[in-house]
Amino acid sequence: MEIDTETVLKIARLSRIKINEGESADIQKDLNRIVEFVKKLGEIDIDEIDEFNFGKTNIEDMRKDSVTIYDNTDDILKNTKNKNQDFFTVPKIVE
Amino acid sequence: MNEVKLTQLGIKDSRDLLNKKEISATELTNAYIQNIEESSKLNAFIEKTFDKALMQASKADKIIGTDSQKSLCGIPLGIKDLFCCKNVKTQAASDILENFIPPYESTVTQKLWNEQAIMLGKLNMDEFAMGSSNETSTYGPVINPWKSTGSHDSLTPGGSSGGSSAAVAANLCTGATGTDTGGSIRQPASFTGTVGLKPTYGRCSRWGIIAFASSFDQAGPITKNVTDSAIMLKAMSGFDPLDSTSAKIDVPDYEQELGKDIKGLRVGLAKEYSLQNGDSEANRKLQEAIKILKNMGAEIVEVSLPHTEFALPTYYVLAPAEASSNLARYDGVRYGHRAKLDTNDSILELYEKTRSEGFGTEVKRRILIGTYVLSSGYYDAYYKRAQKVRSLIKNDFDEVFKKVDIILTPTTPTSAFPLGSKGTQDPVEMYMNDIFTVPANLAGLPALSLPVGLDELGLPLGVQLIGNNWQEPLLLNTAFNLENTLAFENNPKKWWA
Repeated sequence: MEIDTETVLKIARLSRIKINEGESADIQKDLNRIVEFVKKLGEIDIDEIDEFNFGKTNIEDMRKDSVTIYDNTDDILKNTKNKNQDFFTVPKIVE
Repeated sequence: MNEVKLTQLGIKDSRDLLNKKEISATELTNAYIQNIEESSKLNAFIEKTFDKALMQASKADKIIGTDSQKSLCGIPLGIKDLFCCKNVKTQAASDILENFIPPYESTVTQKLWNEQAIMLGKLNMDEFAMGSSNETSTYGPVINPWKSTGSHDSLTPGGSSGGSSAAVAANLCTGATGTDTGGSIRQPASFTGTVGLKPTYGRCSRWGIIAFASSFDQAGPITKNVTDSAIMLKAMSGFDPLDSTSAKIDVPDYEQELGKDIKGLRVGLAKEYSLQNGDSEANRKLQEAIKILKNMGAEIVEVSLPHTEFALPTYYVLAPAEASSNLARYDGVRYGHRAKLDTNDSILELYEKTRSEGFGTEVKRRILIGTYVLSSGYYDAYYKRAQKVRSLIKNDFDEVFKKVDIILTPTTPTSAFPLGSKGTQDPVEMYMNDIFTVPANLAGLPALSLPVGLDELGLPLGVQLIGNNWQEPLLLNTAFNLENTLAFENNPKKWWA
């Protein structure tokens, strides 16, 4: 199996998802099943092939890099109980 | 007109009656509200906005017949929960967005309201649009209005836009928005006897649609018929300065394109899209569609898309990779669910516990696999390789569209399957459902699912038409011609009320 227990825990840590011991074995089994499925891509010779893209974005279609005033802070803060004045509160991050 | 019949009308027929003042928008809206209230067993609507709908209807009644009237004036619609709607709870059917109230409106829904459509509410879906059966929703699965002949088993309405497809099939709205990342409009449409259209990548703005895989996601309509699809697509389409991947290409009047002769149309049949069981009703329905097109003067051409077998593996590298990046924003800090923390927990525990509690199993699985294929040491072997194979798949289509105008395929390998019957032991089993729909997303092409009839089980079947970029008018007109001859009636027995 390509993905061992240690790798499961590593990618869970990178993904910022807490995995408990009970879940770990099932997740490992599912991830290995998916990896086995996508390994089919290894059958193709891709040396001369470019990576896919939708083409260039037209610079003139992009928004101007200009200052806009966004003043609905109150609406945004309505979506959390964890606030203090105009700020979100989180656990202490500086000792 | 009695209310049952009123809600069987689609967008065009409702519009025509509204314009003749034979019905009022308020009357029409009330008829849909009654149907929705009676449909809790289907679990399609997860947030109802009836007060807003009746206010919009009252306003529409004053506008109809005046110079201010727009294309969808007084037409009641359902909105997939993936579209942010200002001041309306929007959760993408996920716990992690618990009680999220967007302070802004998605561009596509804003366009619909600008055309004076009426919003009935939000529709159920797979969590973050990740699923093919609606079973990953935090609200529980939607039930397909259709049942197999003689059976009481609950069937999936498809996914991820299962609430949208079920709502349209069960006459809970005239039409609904959907989104399609790997088949999430077309497969549900096929399972419910409705018309589902995934437009060309860039046709509709993605702004305000909760992102799953940004290089695949497209919004589109699910409707009762092709004409309604044309009307709704026009309202949803167009360049948006807020989405640099939306295209600065004029939006045609799709409805005006319908009814044109298709004599000489070159229709491709790809051998890679054949059904496993040749002796099935599904195959016979496909053959019937081919015969109809031939009788109308279309030329049938055998074609090959040789990299089709690599489409699903490519998709299941790239879409989770993009999802793992897009879903990184759900950290519990600013909105949605936040885990209860122990006294000494750090911000890292805030992130990890919140994401562990807030995301469902399938979403976590895709974030993890996406993180894996993007991680150091695996990026070249998986992500980069899949991006190259995606080019090969696109090249296949480019070659085929030199020979044909349109490609005809089945939409799905089977009709709707029972809830709980797939993917419980093996996630890949569920992924296989998207085998015919994923290639169009990989190549960014427009594709439409049209109902063609019922199978041996008495369940709807769809065929898929895939077109070249920006060929929505051709897709819609071909589907319109087929629809007229097939005369499919979407009338599931009303067991839920």
